[in-house]
Amino acid sequence: MDGELDEAIRKLAWLNFDCSRNELGSCVARLTELKILLTKFPSLPPTFQMTPNAVEELKFARVVYEFAVILSMEMKDQEAFERDLVQLKGFYMDTRGMIPPSPDEYPILGLNLMRLLAGNRIAEFHTELELLPLGALHHPCIKYAVELEQAFMEGTYRLINDRKAVPHESYRYFMDLLAETIRDEIADCSGQAYDHLPVNDAMEMLMFSSDQQLLEYISERQHEWEVQNCSVLFHMAKSQPRVGVHSFKLIKQSLCYAQELEQVV
Amino acid sequence: MAAAAVMVSSASALLAMLQEPAAELKLHALSNLNSLVHVFWPEISTSVPAIESLYEDEEFDQRQLAALVVSKVFYYLGELNDSLSYALGAGPLFDVSEDSDYANTLLARALDEYASIRSKASKATGEEEMMDPRLEVIVERMLDKCILDGKYQQAMGMAVECRRLDKLEEAITRSDNLHGALSYCINLSHQYVGHREYRCEILRCLVKIYQTLSDPDYLSICQCLMFLDEHETVANILYTLFSGGTDDTLLAYQIAFDLVENENQAFLLNVRNHLDTLCIPKSALPGAQTGNATDPSGDTQMGDDVDIMNGSPRVVDPIEEARADRLTKIRGILSGETSIQLTLQFLYSHNRSDLLILKTIKQALEMRNSVCHSATICSNAIMHAGTTVDTFLRENLEWLSRATNWAKFSATAGLGVIHRGHLQQGRALMAPYLPQGGAAGGGSPYSEGGALYALGLIHANHGEGITHFLRESLRNTSSEVVQHGACLGLGLAGLGTADEEIFEDIKNVLYTDSAVASEAAGIGLGLLMVGTATEKAGEMLAYAHDTQHEKIIRGLALGIALTVYGREEEADTLIEQMTRDQDPILRYGGMYALALAYRGTANNKAIHQLLHFAVSDVNDDVRRTAVLALGFVLYNEPEQTPRIVSLLSESYNPHVRYGAALAVGISCAGTGLNDAISLLEPLTSDVVDFVRQGALIAMAMVMIQTNESYDPRVGTFRRQLEKIVLDKHEDTMSKMGAILASGILDAGGRNVTIKLKSRSKHDKLTAVVGLAVFTQFWYWYPLTYFISLAFSPTAIIGLNSDLQMPKLEFLSNAKPSLFDYPKPTTQQTATATVKLPTAILSTYAKAKSRASKKDAEKAQEKAEAAEGKAEAPPSEDASTSMQVDGVAAEKKAPEPEPTFQILANPARVLPAQEKFIKFLESSRYEPVKGAPSGFVLLRDLRPEDAEELVLADTPSTVATNVSGAAAASPAVEEEPQPPQPFEYSP
Repeated sequence: MDGELDEAIRKLAWLNFDCSRNELGSCVARLTELKILLTKFPSLPPTFQMTPNAVEELKFARVVYEFAVILSMEMKDQEAFERDLVQLKGFYMDTRGMIPPSPDEYPILGLNLMRLLAGNRIAEFHTELELLPLGALHHPCIKYAVELEQAFMEGTYRLINDRKAVPHESYRYFMDLLAETIRDEIADCSGQAYDHLPVNDAMEMLMFSSDQQLLEYISERQHEWEVQNCSVLFHMAKSQPRVGVHSFKLIKQSLCYAQELEQVV
Repeated sequence: MAAAAVMVSSASALLAMLQEPAAELKLHALSNLNSLVHVFWPEISTSVPAIESLYEDEEFDQRQLAALVVSKVFYYLGELNDSLSYALGAGPLFDVSEDSDYANTLLARALDEYASIRSKASKATGEEEMMDPRLEVIVERMLDKCILDGKYQQAMGMAVECRRLDKLEEAITRSDNLHGALSYCINLSHQYVGHREYRCEILRCLVKIYQTLSDPDYLSICQCLMFLDEHETVANILYTLFSGGTDDTLLAYQIAFDLVENENQAFLLNVRNHLDTLCIPKSALPGAQTGNATDPSGDTQMGDDVDIMNGSPRVVDPIEEARADRLTKIRGILSGETSIQLTLQFLYSHNRSDLLILKTIKQALEMRNSVCHSATICSNAIMHAGTTVDTFLRENLEWLSRATNWAKFSATAGLGVIHRGHLQQGRALMAPYLPQGGAAGGGSPYSEGGALYALGLIHANHGEGITHFLRESLRNTSSEVVQHGACLGLGLAGLGTADEEIFEDIKNVLYTDSAVASEAAGIGLGLLMVGTATEKAGEMLAYAHDTQHEKIIRGLALGIALTVYGREEEADTLIEQMTRDQDPILRYGGMYALALAYRGTANNKAIHQLLHFAVSDVNDDVRRTAVLALGFVLYNEPEQTPRIVSLLSESYNPHVRYGAALAVGISCAGTGLNDAISLLEPLTSDVVDFVRQGALIAMAMVMIQTNESYDPRVGTFRRQLEKIVLDKHEDTMSKMGAILASGILDAGGRNVTIKLKSRSKHDKLTAVVGLAVFTQFWYWYPLTYFISLAFSPTAIIGLNSDLQMPKLEFLSNAKPSLFDYPKPTTQQTATATVKLPTAILSTYAKAKSRASKKDAEKAQEKAEAAEGKAEAPPSEDASTSMQVDGVAAEKKAPEPEPTFQILANPARVLPAQEKFIKFLESSRYEPVKGAPSGFVLLRDLRPEDAEELVLADTPSTVATNVSGAAAASPAVEEEPQPPQPFEYSP
């Protein structure tokens, strides 16, 4: 057992080394080896056997998975990120009280929040938030994510773009993703709001620094837009007048229910 | 420590690990999921597709584990079919010995699935059902495990259910109690195997096992063989046995008696013929030996025995002689003559019928009501069925002579019931009424026809001696009444023999297209061909379509139904044809066909069909019969019937109610079942007269042979019958029902019961057929007499190796009163009159005032009723009477009733009493078989002592006198002829 742990620790050292040399390919291979090694530790979830060096092993495993999360982010592999994070969360949630909390816990959880925000997965974002202890909200990393979300919801996108000060280096990646998301959001809205916009205005609104970028963006993402006479036409993107929702009918119905409910009481 | 209780809070980590590219990680995640699935299945269920894709991934080496996890998740989701298919995918990982809900549920599912596929496969052999080999493997593992664990009964049950005879055999041979296992299997096959062919297969397998035993249980083997209709093997066994020692001979006799009890005439005939072919070459040319003597189909073991036995030929003439003697004895038993004779003797000597009941009925009836008149004659016949006692008739000749035309036919036929089983003298007894040698003889055709019918009843199912005469009579007459009687008689005598010549004779009558004769011919044909599933049924059906006469159609419909007796699935086409017919009478026959084909199987499909017809057919007759038929289908599970028909018994349609009553009567006959009586009780006071009639008859059938101390309601019922008979304003129909009911209640001198199953759980063909035709009395009163076929004596008769009754005593470990004869009515009427005074005893003054009114019981009753109304506290009156009753009971208590009883051979033992019967241990004799019922062969433990035989007051001698007088006197009053029968008496 000890031998295995030692071996694992050695491997982690190698991994760190590789990582520092930025050899991502060998990093991934080493990480996989490590993970397999970890499955042999009986003290890890879900078995939680009380072996003599359970605490060590748990701590170690947590470090490995924290590393895996960071690595997958560096690799820009979102799927792997999510996978590793879910496994890591198991350590955070279930080993409280068994091993001291990790210093990286909140940064990483904050990172997760950022990811969700960047992916516009607001519902999951809030679920995650609910699962955090109250004290965690004051941690700068978490707080940062929460504030971003508020700004995002309010639509004060500029505020988001102005925030250049990130609490942790690793947040940059997600900030860029978030900017993309915001742009998409704005694009959607402008499609609804305007029939056409001058290219310059559109450029400004979509936070591009040059026409070129805007045109690229349109050709890549917004196939329904057209650029004519120095203005962007949105008419293609306009959705048909909505027929599905009969708002008056719905309002009437709800009022009726309310009235009846009152009578019942 | 607290940490010990740590559990993961979610399976998401493991599920995430499943997505890892490394196979080891996937494996780790899977195995952990497998152990946690009972907690986290809701979470895992969302990822089932991922795990499924793992299972389908050919390269993943732990696909089975994935399948197991998916299977468990599906199990928790309640998707058992999916769960099972994945569990099959899990292969060996699915642990049959695991004691979890999951494993148990899935195993049950797997077994069900397997069994249903197997049975489907065996039904439609044409299209091969896809059998999942993995399923088979699981079931086999399960069976093996059961056998290894020593749960043999479970294993046997499963093997039978799954149609795996190989496993069945294995389970039986490996079980520690071989005989127990075998008999368990026999029971199983009769009770739970619905499919006839398959049952035969099982029995064949059992016989095979039996024969490999060193000490075979020949009694059981022969029962199985009888079901399989393998008469040759039976004959071989019998032959081997009675060629052996005395003990073996006794066993052979016992087997023969048991076979006879099942009443399969055709089979017995074949056994007898085969026995002859076995014996004749031996006794004729003992030197020639083995070559043709040893039956090629006999198994080798027997062949060896025969050889050894033949090793000492000729020199030992006495042995040969003894064997010849034994052969004649066994032939006698197989022909049924021995048992019939002994039964007759028993019924005669133990006759306890109560003439007073009849006398009361007779006096109460109006002069001119011929229905009640013939009902009374019939009641008398039933009461004395098989006892040869015709005192009542002799004493009331003048009254009897009021019967004219068809009533005369019935009255004469009644004699047949009374003398039922009087094989030797039957013809002599009936001689005065029989057609005289072709010449008209001046006899009324009604009495002639009746006499022929009576002969049939006497010889029912044992008609060898009489069929010739009956055929002669049939050919020599042109009177349709005589033809009617002769057809019925021939049918009865040739029951189930499928004799071609008789068939032709009766068919000729059928084609005369005369309503009266052809109706009987239709029934007669059916009786003749019972249970043969003959193709001639098609012919009969065609004629039924041709003819215009309803009576003929009805007779044929019943006849066709009889031909498919006991054929179960084989009969389905014919049943379908009949039940779809335009003609309600044929549909009605279809109901009977259903009833008889599935008699005593409790087959779900048949029940379903009958219930469907019972509520949906447009014709009342069909509906009535459909309900009634339920009684036949369900008689092997009498407890079920009251429950099933209870709703129908409350139908608005009186025909359905009538059917329900009779259904209960048929299936619960002779059981005295509480539920049945409770169901029938309200029906006996129904508003419609014929429902009352049916209910009374059914009630009598249920209560037959139960006495008041067994169920107090019997007493109430008897009083009710008496009241109905005495009541002037009662409808004729219910009166007739009451009269018949009193006959059935005390049938056969109170020594017979109605039994549709023999002790070895086989159906008694004669009894079932008898009851089926009996239910036809709705249309044709003379058919009432068919009920006598259903009677079987409740006797235990011990026999020694000479087939004589030695003096012997049995012990009955029950209170004598529980199974005693009901008190004779002389006392009963007395108790009726005495009972009132007991009520008054407490209030002496009242007693005096009432004593004056004591002259007529009826008046008294009325008076009391009036008093009850007039007097202020009638309830007090009742309570006092109850008190007095209580006191009377207490008074009885001090003189304690013995808890046992010594019975002398031959003894009356009710079916319910059988379990209390013991043989006295110090006795000189020891029974050959365990079950103390019916005919029991006794092994003599002290052969050196002189045997003391029971002095048999054989009816043959006495009866000749009786019958002589009886035959003479009605003859005198009907046809003034010289008393001829004296010529016949020795």
